[in-house]
Amino acid sequence: MTPLHHIGNFVRETLLLIPLGVVRILFVGILALLLIWVLQLPKSETTQPTGSGRWYDNLKIGASIALLIQIVIYSVL
Amino acid sequence: MNGQLATLDYIVLCVYLGGILALGLSLGRKIRTGTDFFLAGRSLPWWAISMSLVATDIGGTDIIGVGGAAYSHGMAVGNFEWIGCVPAMIVASFIFIPLFYRLGIYTIPEFMERRYNAFVRSALAACWLAFMACNLGIMLFASAKMMSVLFGWDQATCIWATAILVGIYTCAGGLAAVVYTDMIQCVVMIGGCLLVLVIGLIDIGGVGELKNRLREIEAKQAIAAAQETGAALPDQQMDPDAKIEHASLILPVDTKSPFPWTGILFGLAFILSPAYWIGNQAIVQRSLGAKSEFEAKQAYIWGAVLKNIIPIIIAVPGLIAFVKYPELADGDQAFPMLVSQLLPTGIRGLFLAAFLAALMSSVDSYLNSASTILSHDLYKRFLNPAATDERLLIVGRTTTVALVCWAIMFAFLVMDMKEGIYTMFQTLMAFFQGPALAILLPGIFWKRANGIGAGAGFVCGVLFSISLYALNQPLIYETLGLQPLFQVADPFLYFSVWAFLLALGVLVVVSLLTKPEPEEKLAAIFDRHKNTKEPTA
Repeated sequence: MTPLHHIGNFVRETLLLIPLGVVRILFVGILALLLIWVLQLPKSETTQPTGSGRWYDNLKIGASIALLIQIVIYSVL
Repeated sequence: MNGQLATLDYIVLCVYLGGILALGLSLGRKIRTGTDFFLAGRSLPWWAISMSLVATDIGGTDIIGVGGAAYSHGMAVGNFEWIGCVPAMIVASFIFIPLFYRLGIYTIPEFMERRYNAFVRSALAACWLAFMACNLGIMLFASAKMMSVLFGWDQATCIWATAILVGIYTCAGGLAAVVYTDMIQCVVMIGGCLLVLVIGLIDIGGVGELKNRLREIEAKQAIAAAQETGAALPDQQMDPDAKIEHASLILPVDTKSPFPWTGILFGLAFILSPAYWIGNQAIVQRSLGAKSEFEAKQAYIWGAVLKNIIPIIIAVPGLIAFVKYPELADGDQAFPMLVSQLLPTGIRGLFLAAFLAALMSSVDSYLNSASTILSHDLYKRFLNPAATDERLLIVGRTTTVALVCWAIMFAFLVMDMKEGIYTMFQTLMAFFQGPALAILLPGIFWKRANGIGAGAGFVCGVLFSISLYALNQPLIYETLGLQPLFQVADPFLYFSVWAFLLALGVLVVVSLLTKPEPEEKLAAIFDRHKNTKEPTA
């Protein structure tokens, strides 16, 4: 056994202790945090500089749709 | 499915291929300069780039392979298109793509020289070029092999025909042809796979019935396994509300599948996915050709929305095949089996068009990007720094032709090699993607990172991941009297994590021990990130 094997086994055994329910919360939590970050971005970062009012020019809408779908998927599957 | 294509199928196929070729050639007539060829004259709309991003990411072999992996290992393979794409695309769109666009770069290695030095640029360019050039041949061969199995076509003819067809329109129209043909290919690919999904679900009796039958098969397999080993039957197999592993995305660390949650989260979502969507030249290049910085960002965002449907149309058919034909010897037969059994004449031609669309959209992108790296990071950087834009157009087209020839030659070369070479090249990409991300991130967020640290980190990271790979090979660990280092079948997700961490550690230590980069060099990256809105060539 090399030191790499010992490190690997330790990490593996530690991670095995985490219940899958907690892992699911971790996956969904990361996606939720990302969604919050997107929603807090300044308007200048998420809309056309020319001020177009079209819905698809609002990047917060697109990013939120993508992340909400992900949150639903990882909550259910 | 061999020999089951009818005249109507061939007509559908010919119409599709003829249309793609005509579009590519017509776009080629507008190409005047190198910028037109490599970045489509920075004129691409966001919607075309969005679809091109999705099409490029799904190759012909992926359609069969992802469906096959879903058949063998379940829905967890969908992680590669969901958490393995969407979050990274969104982060890339708001942080990285705007920076690259404003800098006016052509390639990611070019950014590395502006931030670090020529060695880092050359090392990364060499890795990407070697990977892309070989992968072109691999994609041609793997797809020809599949077409030969599915339709009984001659492998050599498939390789020649695909390479020449893609080569003609990529050489003529450059990035614009790649992106606009990808757009059509994306629609055809999604449409073709959607048909297989819908017809398959109708045939099986709907989503509820699919879940019921998955549960039944898993219960039977658990009983058979328990009887074989003499172990007690796990309680959860009797519970009608228990999770169906074949339909689960999150699998335990000790799963028999190659996709435990640790590899998916730490290896895929945190390392390989950002490295791919931020650092893969074939992906990033099309956003650099956008009309504006905003449209470059917009393309990534709406591409992420579109990405959400891909596992549904590619992986779920694998599950349908699993309940319909649970005794298949090879998971890769799942998708073709559904196509041959369920699709009517004419529609089978549409699926073949979808398969070719997926193949061509990846080959053309890698072809164009490899040509861009050769022209900019080799020819213009080292051989002819004073090359004009018109000269670069000639070089770009010449290198595209040369790469097509190389790809054909390499495809015939790998025909004689052992199976599993496709997996080997995916593993090769994992060798340098982790270290590449480890030097890219500090280059953008940490001013103290310098060229010596980045060079040392990259080299150490690549060597470390190669060592990890070696220590997991039976010949090596048995000779050394060791256990295998990893306990999953294809541990490339784990290589990338450890190589990333080591490369980052080396970069930090070496950078702190050596001189920082000059302030004026850093200002070009960090101040531009804050202030400039227009790209500079």
